[in-house]
Amino acid sequence: MNTEKKRRGVRPFGRKGMEGPTRLSTRAYLAVIVVLAAALVFSLLAAITFGNADISIKEVYGVVAYELFHVERLSEFAQGPVHDVVWIIRFPRVLMGLAVGMGLSVCGVVMQAVVKNPLADPYVLGVSSGASLGATLAILFGAGALFGRNFVGVMAFLGAVAVSFAVLFISHAGGPSNAGKLILAGMAMSSVCSAFSSFALYLAHNKDALSEVMFWTMGSLASAKWSNVPVVLAIMTAGTALFWTQFRNLNLMLLGDETSVTLGTDMHKVRGKYMILSSLMVGFAVYAAGTIGFVGLIIPHAVRMVFGADHKRLIPLCALIGGIFLIWADVCCRVILRNSELPIGILVSMIGAPCFIYLMIRHAYGFGGGQS
Amino acid sequence: MRTQTKDIRLSYGANEVLKGVSIEAGHKEFVGLIGPNGSGKSTLLKCIYRVLKPDCGAVFLDDRKLADISVKESARKLAVVAQHNYYNFDFSVMEVVLMGRSPHKKALERDNAKDYEIARQALLTVRMEEFAERSFSTLSGGEQQRVILARALAQQTSCLVLDEPTNHLDITYQLQLLRIVKQLDLTVISAIHDLNIAAMFCDRIYVLQAGEIVAQGTPKNVLTREMIREVYRVESEIVEDTKGQMHILFL
Repeated sequence: MNTEKKRRGVRPFGRKGMEGPTRLSTRAYLAVIVVLAAALVFSLLAAITFGNADISIKEVYGVVAYELFHVERLSEFAQGPVHDVVWIIRFPRVLMGLAVGMGLSVCGVVMQAVVKNPLADPYVLGVSSGASLGATLAILFGAGALFGRNFVGVMAFLGAVAVSFAVLFISHAGGPSNAGKLILAGMAMSSVCSAFSSFALYLAHNKDALSEVMFWTMGSLASAKWSNVPVVLAIMTAGTALFWTQFRNLNLMLLGDETSVTLGTDMHKVRGKYMILSSLMVGFAVYAAGTIGFVGLIIPHAVRMVFGADHKRLIPLCALIGGIFLIWADVCCRVILRNSELPIGILVSMIGAPCFIYLMIRHAYGFGGGQS
Repeated sequence: MRTQTKDIRLSYGANEVLKGVSIEAGHKEFVGLIGPNGSGKSTLLKCIYRVLKPDCGAVFLDDRKLADISVKESARKLAVVAQHNYYNFDFSVMEVVLMGRSPHKKALERDNAKDYEIARQALLTVRMEEFAERSFSTLSGGEQQRVILARALAQQTSCLVLDEPTNHLDITYQLQLLRIVKQLDLTVISAIHDLNIAAMFCDRIYVLQAGEIVAQGTPKNVLTREMIREVYRVESEIVEDTKGQMHILFL
C-alpha cells in the first residue's frame, strides 16, 4: 500500500513553469472522469435547447421525456413541428457531435503515437483529401449514386479509407514501414488527391458544385439522422474501447521502435492494425460530418498538457472531452449566425487555436514535456 | 545466464560491418566491448538486443537460439540501456519505470501492487526513489539514464546489455551508473568508450576492430601498449596506482 500512497502525492494543480503536467492520483483521476461523464450528460441535454427555432425549454424536455419513457401524460409532445425539430433534427445531431468528437480525438491520440509526431492529426494519412476527392467526384459527376441518398457521404468514406490503405501500402513498399515514411506517404497521397479534386472542379466550371464541395470540406453535423447516428456512435465507441485496451503498446510506441523491441513488443506488427482501425473511424466521421479539422490535434494535446501522456488515462479523457467539445462547438455554430449556420470546421479552428496557444504558453510542453 | 554470439555477420549494403563475431558472457560476468568508432560495437549489441537481424550466425541465451524466442520472452531475459537519447514525451518517472513491466504483462492486464513494488525497488536501487512523481523530461541526462536503468531492472532479467549508456554523461554520472550496474550481480555485456573505465569495471574485455575480434581476456592482458597502438594508433603508458588499479595514460 505504501507505493499506492506514494503515487497519491498530488502536487499543486495549474502551477506554471518547469514541471510539465500534474500527475493525478488514482482517486483524483476517477473524480475527473465522473465529473466529465456528468458534464457530458448535461451537455447532451443542454445542447438540444439551442437552435434557430424558438422552442421553450419545457417543450424540449417534454419531447425528450415522451420519446424516452413514452409517458401518456406527455402525449401532447408525441408529434408536430416541435417534436420533429427536437427529436428528429436536434437530438441525433447532438449525439452525432458526441460520436464524431470522441472518434476524432481518440484517433488523434493514436495517430500521434503511431507516427510519433505531435503534429499528426487523424487526417495525417491523407484521409481528408481522400474524402474530399470522393465527395467531389460524387457531387460533380454523381459517382456512386447507386449507394442511395447519402451517396456523397459514402463516396467520401470510400475515398478516406482507400487513401489511408494506399498510404499504408506505400509506407510498407521497399523496406519496413516507419513513422517518417508514413507521414511522407500521407503527404504525397494528400497532394495527389487535392490535385485531382482541384482538376475536376476546374474542368467542371460548376459554381453550385464548388460551393457544395467547399461546404463538405468545412464540415457540418447537419446531416445527422436517426438512421445514421447509431452506426457511427457504435463504431466510435467500439473503436475507443479497443484503443483503450491498447494503452500499453501506445505508451511504448512513444519510446520508439528500438526501445519497444527491448521491452517485448514489435511495433511493426501493431502499427498497421492501429492505422486500419483509425482510418475506419475517421472514414465514418467524414461520412457523417465532412472533414472537421483540428479537433484531433488540439484535444489530445490539451489533455496531455494537463493530465500527462499515459494512454491508460489519455484515451478515456480524450473521448469524453472531445465529445463535449464538439457538442458545444456545434451549438455555437447553430446560434452564432442568425438564420444561418456556420460550418463547424471554421468555428473549431477559430476557438480551438487560441485556447491551444494559451495552453502551450502556460505549460512547459513538448510531446508533452519538452526540453524546457 | 550465459549469453553468446556465434559467428555473427552483418552487412550494410556492400559494407561488411561484422565479419563473423563470436563472443560469450558467462553467468554474472561483466564483459566489456571496446574498439574505435565504427568497429561494430553497437551493431553487434543491436544484434543481441534484436533491433538488427544478423545476416548469418546467431545469438544464444543459455543455449537457446534468440531467433526462436518471442520478442516478449527475450525481453524477460535480457534488458537494455542504450545510448542516452532525448525522449520527446511527458511521462512521469514512475510511468517510465513501469514500462519495464510490459514484457511480464498480458495484453489487457493492468499494473498491480506487485509491479509498483518492483518499480519502486528498481528506483531505490538506482537511488532515484525521490523522483518517482517527477516528469521524466525535466531530469538531467545522468538522472534520466538512471531511470532508464531502473526500467531495465524492472524487467527482472538476468542479463543486461549496455550500449554505451554513459555517452555524453559527465564522469561523475559515468562512474555512478556503472558502479550501480556492477553491484547488481547480473550478466552484463557493455560497449565502453573509455579504456580506463573498461579497465575499472570489466571482468573480461573483447576488442573489436573493423568488425572482427582482435583480442580478448582480462583487462590487464588485453589493455597493453601494443594493443592500443595497433587498434587505436595512439602511444600510451600503463601505470598502476597504490590500490593496484591500472590506468592508461595517453602520450
